[in-house]
Amino acid sequence: MLDQFALFGEAILHFLTPSALFYVLWSTLLGIVVGMLPGLTATLGVALMTTLTFQLESDSAILVLVCVYIGAIYGGSRSAILLNIPGTPANAATALDGFPLARAGLAGKAMAIATSGSVMGSLIGMVFLMAVAPVLADFALKFGAYEFFWLTVFGIVIAGRLTALADPLKGWIAGFLGLLVAMVGQEGMYSYPRFAFGNTDLAGGFGLLPAMVGAFGFAEVLHVMTSGRYEAVKSTLDSILPRLKEIVRYWRTIIRSGVIGTFMGIVPGVGEDMGAWVSYAAARRASKESESFGKGSVEGLMAAETGNNAAVPGAIIPVLTLAVPGSAPAAVLLAAMIIHGIRPGPLIMIEQPQFVYEVVAMVLMATLAVLVLGLLLTRPLLTVLSVPRERLMPVVFVLCTIGSFAIASRLFDVWVMLGFGVLGYLMRRLDFPTAPLILGIVLGDMFDKSLRRGLVLSDGDPTPFFTRPISLVLFLAVLLTFVLGGGTLRRIGGWLGMRRQQGGASEASR
Amino acid sequence: MQEPSPTSVSARADLFTALVLLALSAGVILESLGMPRYEERAVNPFSVPGLVPGVLGLALLVLAGLLLLRSLAALRSGAGRGAGPGLLGVAGGLDAALLGLLTLGYGGLLVGRLPFRLATFLFVFLFIVLFERDLPATPRQRAGRALFAFVQAAVVALGVAYVFEDVFLVRLP
Repeated sequence: MLDQFALFGEAILHFLTPSALFYVLWSTLLGIVVGMLPGLTATLGVALMTTLTFQLESDSAILVLVCVYIGAIYGGSRSAILLNIPGTPANAATALDGFPLARAGLAGKAMAIATSGSVMGSLIGMVFLMAVAPVLADFALKFGAYEFFWLTVFGIVIAGRLTALADPLKGWIAGFLGLLVAMVGQEGMYSYPRFAFGNTDLAGGFGLLPAMVGAFGFAEVLHVMTSGRYEAVKSTLDSILPRLKEIVRYWRTIIRSGVIGTFMGIVPGVGEDMGAWVSYAAARRASKESESFGKGSVEGLMAAETGNNAAVPGAIIPVLTLAVPGSAPAAVLLAAMIIHGIRPGPLIMIEQPQFVYEVVAMVLMATLAVLVLGLLLTRPLLTVLSVPRERLMPVVFVLCTIGSFAIASRLFDVWVMLGFGVLGYLMRRLDFPTAPLILGIVLGDMFDKSLRRGLVLSDGDPTPFFTRPISLVLFLAVLLTFVLGGGTLRRIGGWLGMRRQQGGASEASR
Repeated sequence: MQEPSPTSVSARADLFTALVLLALSAGVILESLGMPRYEERAVNPFSVPGLVPGVLGLALLVLAGLLLLRSLAALRSGAGRGAGPGLLGVAGGLDAALLGLLTLGYGGLLVGRLPFRLATFLFVFLFIVLFERDLPATPRQRAGRALFAFVQAAVVALGVAYVFEDVFLVRLP
């Protein structure tokens, strides 16, 4: 335990330099602006900054990305409160109570509550990151091919289930489509170029970053430009300082939402939006003033913002310890770590333990920057929201284009970005979630290798996939998730039953 | 918890999607079967390259089949007919086509063929001019708006190139 604190202290000292503090300030501010602007998500912000910072030292680059990530999830609350448009999907629950508060002339108070909730959420998540990551990494050392196989399947199934609550079938289709996309290109055992059709670019596979920039950036440009316009609320700002009284009054909500948010972050591919929704729902259930939820409840707003920001460190936990992302922005963070020569996974606490604590220190510094910038720059930041979409979106698209090109300097990646942008847009129009698709692309390689290795080790006998203790637990979790999301099967069963009855009736009438 | 609203997409769109996915998964399975098995090298048959894509193709086939059955069920019961915007119900079809043309034209054609700064300037200027709707009444004010678009396009083209190339040392297309 003392070692942990010593490593954490060293990490803090490591970042207490003028250049690191400068990185923290500008990247958190950039993250807040990215999050505030409808059409720019945390995923896109982290992806674009990955392309910009890959020439930096690894710790500076990851510091910038963590700050953009945390800043963006917080920044999204501003547009949710003032425009009733969540700046990022993670802030959808924030709009439910934040916007009514703003309409009632309490926009300043709402932003103050959002700031305190976000800061408290990040801090709770950070504590869990520091405490859970070493334990989980140690536990993951027991994982073999069988366990990693079920972990990837569980990730796809749970992400598909939770990101498409109304229609899990579409979430699962998106996830398996993502795994299939990851199959394109040379595979790891014999270097055979799958689905390349003689094309050398395709033999290299689809890059994760161009795919994500397309699915979350270009798709968003298409969506914003084909949707209705937005107008900022004309609200005079009341006090923008958080009141300690409210933090103390809702301490139970804060701790509960922080724990729920962190847990939702840890679940693969689910991330910040579910962290906010589940925290919000739990707060409403437990609240004595539940009737005010959705009408400008301070407690509801606090729960949503605590939940989504707690999910950020939560989503980083599986990135570091299992190389499995807890959310879409965390998937980019994982890719960025690999680009910078860091090897996330069960061995991280053996090979690079100091890096885990450096990430904890990065979260702390980003959180403090959110507090300072969130309070000091409330009024100037509001001008960002007055930029019309016709003037913002072409800039976003230019950044998407150059960002996709930057990593490998190949025009094929621009085409990949365009293709995934159109795919992401169509998926959105057809009610398919995009997060499981991206998770599938990230996990595809692990799925491929662990399934084949497992079968080779057991000489084709599938029994170890179901009999090893951790495998069995993961398999049961997959099964349970399918059963809980079995509405589709029930509907089809009902339809088949109806057809049988109709068939019987028509035969009887003949 | 406030769950997202049930699917707003029409059953016809789901049916079409399911058919596309079925065709895709069938293609994946066929392609996987055609992948080398390296029998001459006597490799373990469970390590061959086509195994995992084949399994995934099969999984997608089953899921797409479920989507197909569900959309057929919805169409038969009349529940999903005409509900939701469908695939092509985008507000302003001409705008959508123009948007597609501009973005795909810039990303797919101009970048890499024209100098980056020029391509970016043209794209941003055209984008603003074509999509800005609430224009002022007088021609003089409109000219002012166009000039502003011109300046923004120039600033974006030069600024983005400077930040990527000179500050972060990233190569431009």
